[in-house]
Amino acid sequence: MQRIVYASRNLMEGSEEEKLQGVQQILAAARRNNTAAGVTGALIFNSGGFAQVLEGSSHELAEIFERIQCDSRHTDVLVLDHCSISERIFPDWSMGFIGTNTGDELMFGAITQDSGFDVSRLAADEILAAMQRLVLEEENL
Amino acid sequence: MINGKAATLCWSETKPLPIDALTEAAMRLPEPFAVIDDHDRIVFANLAFRAAYCVNEGARMTDIETHRVSAETEFRMSGLSFGRRLVTREIKAGEDLRERVDALTGLPNRLVLREALERMLADPQACNESALLLLDLDRFKFVNDTLGHPIGDKLLCRVVDRIRKVLRDGDLLVRLGGDEFAILHASQKQPESARAIAQRIVDLVGRSYLIDDHLVTIGTSIGIATTLFGGSDADRLIKSADLALYGAKEAGRGQFRFFEQEMDDRAQARRTLEQDMRRALALRQFSLHYQPQADIADKTILGFEALLRWKHPTLGMISPAAFIPVAEETGLIVQIGEWVLRAACHEAARWPEDITIAVNLSPVQIAHHGLIDVVTSALANAGISPGRLELEITETVLLQDTNSTLDTLHRLRALGVRIAMDDFGTGYSSLSYLRAFPFDKVKIDQSFIREMSTDKEAAAIVRAVIGLGISLGISMTAEGVETEEQLQGLRNEGCTELQGFLISRPIPSADVAEFLSRN
Ligand SMILES: Cc1cc2nc3c(=O)[nH]c(=O)nc-3n(C[C@H](O)[C@H](O)[C@H](O)COP(=O)(O)O)c2cc1C
Repeated sequence: MQRIVYASRNLMEGSEEEKLQGVQQILAAARRNNTAAGVTGALIFNSGGFAQVLEGSSHELAEIFERIQCDSRHTDVLVLDHCSISERIFPDWSMGFIGTNTGDELMFGAITQDSGFDVSRLAADEILAAMQRLVLEEENL
Repeated sequence: MINGKAATLCWSETKPLPIDALTEAAMRLPEPFAVIDDHDRIVFANLAFRAAYCVNEGARMTDIETHRVSAETEFRMSGLSFGRRLVTREIKAGEDLRERVDALTGLPNRLVLREALERMLADPQACNESALLLLDLDRFKFVNDTLGHPIGDKLLCRVVDRIRKVLRDGDLLVRLGGDEFAILHASQKQPESARAIAQRIVDLVGRSYLIDDHLVTIGTSIGIATTLFGGSDADRLIKSADLALYGAKEAGRGQFRFFEQEMDDRAQARRTLEQDMRRALALRQFSLHYQPQADIADKTILGFEALLRWKHPTLGMISPAAFIPVAEETGLIVQIGEWVLRAACHEAARWPEDITIAVNLSPVQIAHHGLIDVVTSALANAGISPGRLELEITETVLLQDTNSTLDTLHRLRALGVRIAMDDFGTGYSSLSYLRAFPFDKVKIDQSFIREMSTDKEAAAIVRAVIGLGISLGISMTAEGVETEEQLQGLRNEGCTELQGFLISRPIPSADVAEFLSRN
């Protein structure tokens, strides 16, 4: 099994509402495809960009990653980490989304204090840690 | 089901297609072969079919997009439906469509591009609406070399998939060979449309790939030519796009460039220079001047560095900085360099036995397989002992294919020849280079010597490099020494040799004997 963590720049335009709708579409496709492929992970989004963790067996992960790479809704995809894993961090999430219950700043507030709003400048483990925490918080809301 | 004369259509009752071996066999069948479903959609098309289709319709190969989906549907087309007329074509007897298709990617090849270009050029409207894009993958060779061909092949197929995503009906994508592709792109909005797709392809192809557990990143450079500026016959158009591609690569890769007349002018100037150099070699317009190298302790002459001069019949003296890069690019440096080696060794044979001769070697010469033989025979013909010949190389030599470079350097050393690192401090100046190979000498670049007295940093670097030389037991030569003050400073630091106007300018061969007797 492998894990990949990346950050990318959002290219979706429009109002907050429209962008959130766009993200909902991405999530719907992700949940549908990832469940079928046995891929799990989490996605964070703010108006500037995305950060995503994907975990799965290598063939399926590669397939999903390739689809995502070709998506014109984002660009400047920067892979922050890619490694073999024996255990998943997000075993129960076909694609956990962080931010449905929180506003933009809140969503990223926890992990952008030091690096402004530039997700790509964050290290993979910081993103992972923050994601785990936020996922837990959301579950408890 | 397969008809030898005409392209064959098979109407399946949406039965599952046989997979693997059979599909593979059908794929490579020389007959055009397609399976079309009840909705008139092509669900399978073999390579010959794609080529035939492409030939027939001029340039529609790209909308046949295959995906491995599942055991049930081995291939799924992109959802476009084709009129039936498109898929039937008389195949001429003896015509081998495999000659038109690249086996790895299933893309049509150079031949098909050429025909499409001819067809386009015959149609004024198509001409105005077309753009030719040439693509080269950056760093593909590195991936192939480090991860192996199977990964390289998979990567190529992924690249093709991504490019196809950007193209539209009517665009022709062709594999020219290796990591080179061409696109004939039609749009009523040129050149904006070509610009837009080039931009998207650079972006998409440049995103990382996950292939067999390897994360791979490459890039692509694109050159674009339109008939408006790029020429009105197929050859010229290809050449213009190629020049634009060259421009894109020169500008740092990972970008696209449109052809500009200026590129052609520059290429023309390069070609003229190249021809002139060939003539110069034959007519002996090149000559060597010799700059003395001296012991820093007492200015005793130890040897000379051979420096190339070119007196052009109409342009006069041409600086090596102007013609060496072109000679390197065209490979002519191999012949010029050989002449220099032979002439310099020949000259040295007339000097006292203890005077050395230094000759510069270009990275291109080092990479050339004949070098060892040339050096051996130059020494033998001149009858000088190998220990008197010093070959100077720059750091850039060590940047290229390091293993074979080091191998060549060691074999040169085994001949008894000395190896010097030239212009140290100007390039990457990685100290690791000094450890990668046991150099006999390091020459500190003249820019540091010049600034030594005014610039503390330059002085510190000179001191550090000399210190390093002392501790590694390498002799150190200061280049471009002009004043006694510089000489004093260098001597105090422990530098061993010097070269520069303080001793002498480069002198013609006729003056060497007199110079030696005077010193
Ligand atoms: C930032 C981002 C993350 C995405 N994550 C996923 C994902 O995890 N899984 C997935 O199948 N698609 C993901 N997508 C969407 C894909 O790019 C693509 O649109 C989708 O897989 C198409 O699915 P469909 O053909 O089933 O509609 C993502 C897109 C973006 C922009």
